Amino acid sequence: MSPELLIRAKNISYSRGDNRILDRVSFDLHRAQITTIIGPNGAGKSTLTCIVNGLIDQFSGEIERAPGLRIGYLPQRVYVNRLMPLNVERLMQLTRQVSEAEVESALAQTEVAYLKGRQVQSLSEGELKRVLLARTTLGNPDLIVLDEPTAGVDVTGEVKMYKLIGEFRDRLQCAVLLVSHDLHLVMSQTDQVLCLNRHLCCSGLPEAVSQHPEYQALFGQHTGESLAVYSHHHDHVHDVAGHQSDHNG
Amino acid sequence: MAELLDNFLVRSVIAGLLMVSIAAPMGCLMVWQRLAFLSDTLGHAAVMGVGLGLVLQLNPMIGVLAVVLLIVISLSQVNSFNNAFSETTLAIISHTGLAAGLILLGALPSSSISLEAILFGDLLATTRADLGMILATTLLLLFLLFRHWRSFVAVSVSREIAQAEGIAVRKVQFLMYLMIALLVAVMMKVMGVLLIAAMLVIPTSGARLLSKTPEQMVLFSLAFGLASLATGIFTSFHLDWQTGPSIVLCATALLLITLLTFRHFRPGSH
Repeated sequence: MSPELLIRAKNISYSRGDNRILDRVSFDLHRAQITTIIGPNGAGKSTLTCIVNGLIDQFSGEIERAPGLRIGYLPQRVYVNRLMPLNVERLMQLTRQVSEAEVESALAQTEVAYLKGRQVQSLSEGELKRVLLARTTLGNPDLIVLDEPTAGVDVTGEVKMYKLIGEFRDRLQCAVLLVSHDLHLVMSQTDQVLCLNRHLCCSGLPEAVSQHPEYQALFGQHTGESLAVYSHHHDHVHDVAGHQSDHNG
Repeated sequence: MAELLDNFLVRSVIAGLLMVSIAAPMGCLMVWQRLAFLSDTLGHAAVMGVGLGLVLQLNPMIGVLAVVLLIVISLSQVNSFNNAFSETTLAIISHTGLAAGLILLGALPSSSISLEAILFGDLLATTRADLGMILATTLLLLFLLFRHWRSFVAVSVSREIAQAEGIAVRKVQFLMYLMIALLVAVMMKVMGVLLIAAMLVIPTSGARLLSKTPEQMVLFSLAFGLASLATGIFTSFHLDWQTGPSIVLCATALLLITLLTFRHFRPGSH
């Protein structure tokens, strides 16, 4: 039984002026699967997520979305005007009406419940990312789109955050589309990797992609080794703040 | 009630209350979306609208509505998705509109309309017909604000998140521009161009200092607006100052008092 198809992208191309940013990219997103887009700077990763989201509509090719698809989105950057008073609780209710209890439990998932009353402008980059990550899980999304969710988060917090994204997928049974630079950290949580460099270099299971010559040309062979380090020698856990404790499992 | 409306002071106070109550939410949205300068631009360009209306022997309000609508529609066509209007574009429109308006007004017989009336209106000369128009516009705008409030706020915070999560950002934004145009066009006869622009920005700036959420800021803006109106009309009456400028100065005085009192107070930052 194959999981429900949520998005089918066919031959997506996009240019800005003379600059070809995406060239005939095709892929599918299925329910309860995590898809990670990796690629160097300027590879078109954010542009591709914007097309999936409907933020960019002047592209060629086709996007089929499941009817009534609900998306939760964490953009790469959020700049909230200082002239606008906005606390974390109100930010959580930005596009949907959600109860205070739901807000609190969502924030607790990313260990930032204590930020509920804080003004958004006073948060650090890492705090804001955790709040925004929690926000994407509200309102039963079918798909959550995360554009570099761990930028600004300390390295030890990242591992935990990716684990959490896996838990969201299991609990909400939603698809996840993730843009990331942290290849070795992401790989173990991912069902499908899209290796992008304006065109789709290769795609598929993480193990297969990491052996692909185009992937190795882009990222070098050593990334495969660090993947091994992370998947086999991880015998302790970090909380988001970076504290270490013994593994109980 | 009907006899009460015969009193010019009652009519002008009601007009002022309506204006303040719609300026609070509209002003907040404009400040959040960095559109404060747009109200100024529309105000100056409206001078051209008045001139056009008079030269073409139409109701000046129709001239203003036409010019203001033309500006917001063309601006929203050139406005790219991620950028607010460029200040330069707004400044060019603003100065051009004012210059063209002055030339048009100069071509008219000198008695027909004064620039001062356009800039500050004449609250105390509010007629029953003016009051009817203002009431209808305020109710329409309040209805649209209630209906689309969550979308308006979401677009103010992040167009990207709003669009991705199912809000038609371009439509919402365009609706807002139309609402601003309508507000300026209908209110300007009584309030004047400067009073509208000032009441959209000054009370909201004071309210910002005290608020933790967008909705609180609207309520505080309303309170600031009402206080400015009351003190402004009172001063105007007792010192024999023009009403519009008195309200603006009182709003600024209230803003300064708030600034000095709450300088060190940042709600929700700890």
